[in-house]
Amino acid sequence: MTEVYAIILFLFVLFMLLGTGVWVGVALMGVAWVGMELFTTRPVGDVMVTTIWATSSSWTLTALPLFIWMGEILYRTRLSEDMFRGLSPWLARLPGGLVHTNIVGCTVFAAVSGSSAATLTTVGKMSIPELRARKYPEHIVIGTLAGAATLGLMIPPSLALIVYGVAVNQSITELFFAGVFPGLVLALMFMGYVAAYSVLSKGWQPTLETAMSFGEKLKNSRFLIPVILLIMVVIGSMYTGTATATEAAAIGVIGSLLLAASQGSLNWGSFRESLMGATRTSAMIMLILAGAAFLKLSMGFTGLPRALADGIGALDLTRFQLLMMLLVFYIVLGMFLDGISSVVLTMAVVEPMVVEAGIDLIWFGIFVIVVVEMAQITPPIGFNLFVLQGMTGHEMGYIAKAALPMFMIMVLMCFVLIWFPDLAMWLPETMRSTPGG
Amino acid sequence: MSDKPGFLRRALDGLYFASGVAAALCLIAILLLIVAQMVARWTGEIFPGAPNYAGYMMAAASFLAFAAALNGGAHIRVSILLNAVPEKIKWALEVWCFGIATATIAYFVYYAYWFVYWSWRFNEVSQAQDATPLWIPQSVMVVGGGILLIAFLDNLISVLFKGNHRIGDNTVDQSFGE
Amino acid sequence: ETWDMPMAYSGSNFHSVTGAEFAQCVTTGTGGDIEIVTHPGGSLFAGADIKRAIQTGQVQIGERLLSGHQNEDALFGFDSIPFLVGSFDEHDMLWQAAEGPIRELLESQNLHLLYSVPWPPQGLYFNQEVNSVADMEGIRFRSYNNATNRLAELTGMLPVTIEAAEISQAFATGVASSMVSSGATGYDRRVWESLSHFYEVDAWLPRNYIMVNAEVWEGTSEANQNVINGCAELAEYAGTWRAREYTGFTLAGLAAGGMTVEPAGEQLMEELRAIGETMTAEWLEAAGEEGQAIIDAYREAAAATAE
Ligand code: NA
Ligand code: NA
Repeated sequence: MTEVYAIILFLFVLFMLLGTGVWVGVALMGVAWVGMELFTTRPVGDVMVTTIWATSSSWTLTALPLFIWMGEILYRTRLSEDMFRGLSPWLARLPGGLVHTNIVGCTVFAAVSGSSAATLTTVGKMSIPELRARKYPEHIVIGTLAGAATLGLMIPPSLALIVYGVAVNQSITELFFAGVFPGLVLALMFMGYVAAYSVLSKGWQPTLETAMSFGEKLKNSRFLIPVILLIMVVIGSMYTGTATATEAAAIGVIGSLLLAASQGSLNWGSFRESLMGATRTSAMIMLILAGAAFLKLSMGFTGLPRALADGIGALDLTRFQLLMMLLVFYIVLGMFLDGISSVVLTMAVVEPMVVEAGIDLIWFGIFVIVVVEMAQITPPIGFNLFVLQGMTGHEMGYIAKAALPMFMIMVLMCFVLIWFPDLAMWLPETMRSTPGG
Repeated sequence: MSDKPGFLRRALDGLYFASGVAAALCLIAILLLIVAQMVARWTGEIFPGAPNYAGYMMAAASFLAFAAALNGGAHIRVSILLNAVPEKIKWALEVWCFGIATATIAYFVYYAYWFVYWSWRFNEVSQAQDATPLWIPQSVMVVGGGILLIAFLDNLISVLFKGNHRIGDNTVDQSFGE
Repeated sequence: ETWDMPMAYSGSNFHSVTGAEFAQCVTTGTGGDIEIVTHPGGSLFAGADIKRAIQTGQVQIGERLLSGHQNEDALFGFDSIPFLVGSFDEHDMLWQAAEGPIRELLESQNLHLLYSVPWPPQGLYFNQEVNSVADMEGIRFRSYNNATNRLAELTGMLPVTIEAAEISQAFATGVASSMVSSGATGYDRRVWESLSHFYEVDAWLPRNYIMVNAEVWEGTSEANQNVINGCAELAEYAGTWRAREYTGFTLAGLAAGGMTVEPAGEQLMEELRAIGETMTAEWLEAAGEEGQAIIDAYREAAAATAE
């Protein structure tokens, strides 16, 4: 019975604090404090400081600010213009035309950026005006961008995967590689949708591009060289074992600085802005992580996670049923909370359940990432919706509706992952067992 | 009241700015430490304790930036209710939020102070290769937490006596977190 | 009364299993007076924080690998001097010599030692045959602390710092091709996919210690103290037995994975012993008279057995 009271109390305090607008990190600390004061006799303050210090001084987390910084630097370069110029000649003739630059552009940029919203802003600042000028349907332009930008979370590097990996104590490098193929498959599914829509829709009458010869196309592709080099250096260094995820982040920062310098977009002002932006954003995440670490400890003392895991275990759910339950749970949570908060908030309770059910934590990380991606585009709280609102001036409701097909495709992706787990697991497993790289 | 900010106002803003800059420098230090460790490994050298120094810098970068991030509007909060209610209730909610935050961080800073004090008294050293006396990196946590406490208190007073807080709106910083 | 007991290793690890049985024994034995709840897998505190958490009363009891605290007091490193002992039995003798001083040291830190269980012995992993220290020249060796750095230096290997979580990848990609670790680590990380040889050199056997906050211990009734002591004795016996069993199991596992698992050759062993002498002397510089007393007592006991 104590467990039931504990759950009700935790949830009540949590919703009260979060709902009234207390900052997420502070709210988590508050809930943790209440829980420990009521259910244990341990010295709460000492426990709080011990665990917050241990979390915030973690070496594994240093990848986080570095990848954020890298995205900030690239955002201030000419990268998105170059990507559009390099990609559009190849994509213009596909059914769906230049809308594919949205998706492929996001996929490519996702491979150097750890963030969904940064992918969105970088790709969107170029593709939205270009696509509008060619009279592509607005809702398709906006919807695909909102959806495809979330690939920034799945295709490595990924901030959300770093946070997940630290929360469940799994190798971040393996998680990164687990995201590669699911990310590509998801991108193909988005492209398939656009192609099908363009064929079936009567209103699809964009301005057509003048045809380019193969030679011209190739010549235009030179604009893609810098970003492809950057991808090869960052991901390649991890794959060959030259660098850990953290070190790859450092390589990425230096690579981006070089790229920015070679394009002439690196000056004192842009350097300072990128650095300060990265400092603030990573501080924001760290406050949430600090609160979550304390909450995890507090719940550990109450024995709640284990009781819940046992309770769920006693329900005798099949793996599929458990995953469906979690899917619905995370979609609802994702409507109100940002992805990183919902991952760190729930992992203390969900991890034991998932392990108990015999689900691989690397695979589950990718599953969770798809769900976190959905949270980016579900109202009322979804960062990609906010960012697009700022960029396009559309109503939130309009953007959310435009992104709805992408949301459905991501739901489908969850099932694809369940049916073909090797999609995520093959690459990390191969990497684990290739002697000499 | 004159338009020109008073001494206290300028001092406080200067404090937030300076700690933010210090945090940014720690971020650069993380980059340099990791590069140094990588280069050491490639060349068959060792840089003992590099991951730990990077970890201390990580903590310093976070704690020193908390206040600047707060004032810059980078910290995430769920503002559905805040935006939906009438002015008066919104004001009361803001008092409640800043009150809770001030109390929570004050509690944390108090215990963090004693935590560091005991690290110093016990002469606690890092268990890894760096063998750093832990009170040194840990005291940055107290300093940064203290500045965050001042920032929350500053805003609480502002809400109470001027009717509004001084926090900007910055979805960009928030959204770039994921 | 509930005692929370943080443990750093996963619930299925034999230390955690032993700890859970100990907790059950105490709970039953004291008639529920004292209920010990184990929190394995670092779910409460990570390994590095457990000792301080017990010392300061954040938890009443917990388990920690004390050699992790050598920077604080060199004495804690007595069980991790490479090549001082060469078998389980020799290690037992070393522990008997060290138990008194360690117990005292812990008491001075507000900690009461209940029992301690060794890890399986540390051996050498390579991806080639190695018959002498000369064969090790230039091999990239995973190092993670001062002792392993020094070991690399003395054997002419190149130390590469690799965190525990990255071990599998480091071997798979050739960033490192050698390490010193127990058979269990290699078994858990499936290193046979990248490495070929495991030499049972029994380099050292680090121990986990189950400690209770001294004030909490003093506040416990004598009857309950007796129950706990009885359970601790059983746990130490069962845990040590498991360590031996598990060693055999993991080595068989490595062999089944395709690795050559064998004792080191005579020449290699002799050279390693010489390195052990050097490193023991270096440890004694830091550990002083108390350390000397432990080593003297151990050598005396070992000599007596040899006769
Ligand atoms: Na990415
Ligand atoms: Na959402």
